[in-house]
Amino acid sequence: MMATKIVDKKTAATWQEEYDTHAPKVGDIAPDFSLLDANGQNPVRLSEFRQQKPVALIFGSFT
Amino acid sequence: MKGTVSLTDIYAKYHEQVKFIPIYIREAHPVDGWWFGGNLFTKKLMKTFAPKVAMDVHDPQTIEQRRQVAGTCEASLSYGVRTYVDEMDDAVNKSYAAWPTRLYLIDIDGVVVYAAGLGPYDFHPSKLEKAIENYL
Repeated sequence: MMATKIVDKKTAATWQEEYDTHAPKVGDIAPDFSLLDANGQNPVRLSEFRQQKPVALIFGSFT
Repeated sequence: MKGTVSLTDIYAKYHEQVKFIPIYIREAHPVDGWWFGGNLFTKKLMKTFAPKVAMDVHDPQTIEQRRQVAGTCEASLSYGVRTYVDEMDDAVNKSYAAWPTRLYLIDIDGVVVYAAGLGPYDFHPSKLEKAIENYL
């Protein structure tokens, strides 16, 4: 679970400051991950695209 | 809006050269969190500038619920791109400091070549498009 529950602007800023410190910057190796789709299928791993294609990561939610 | 570019446009233009991975992460403004729907001003603002954004979603408490909301979101936004879902430990979200929304471009060596600033203020698909153009 998240270390900080985000309920307002202040807690949002606290969460972002906490994790942005360690987020990858230009020139850094992107942290690898493996995830499933919305049906719990079709696993994807970031590193599988190395030497294949550049990857655009688009993070978001419904709200 | 004149001059703006959508992620759908960018996907249509570059999907053969670039792998697009949309990742659904923890909700930004759920009913049981930092909710915008309870305030008439923000509610109106969101409906005007982000009409596809949901205002009545609770923060999913299980991975099944999270996948369900992600699927509804995917269908609603009609990107036509498979959406992947962060696990309940928010591991990917945390490692990229992605909440509430963020864009990255990774090159074929696995190196970050574009990292947007914190969302939502630096969520500009046009910057991602420029980064893709520069890289290709």
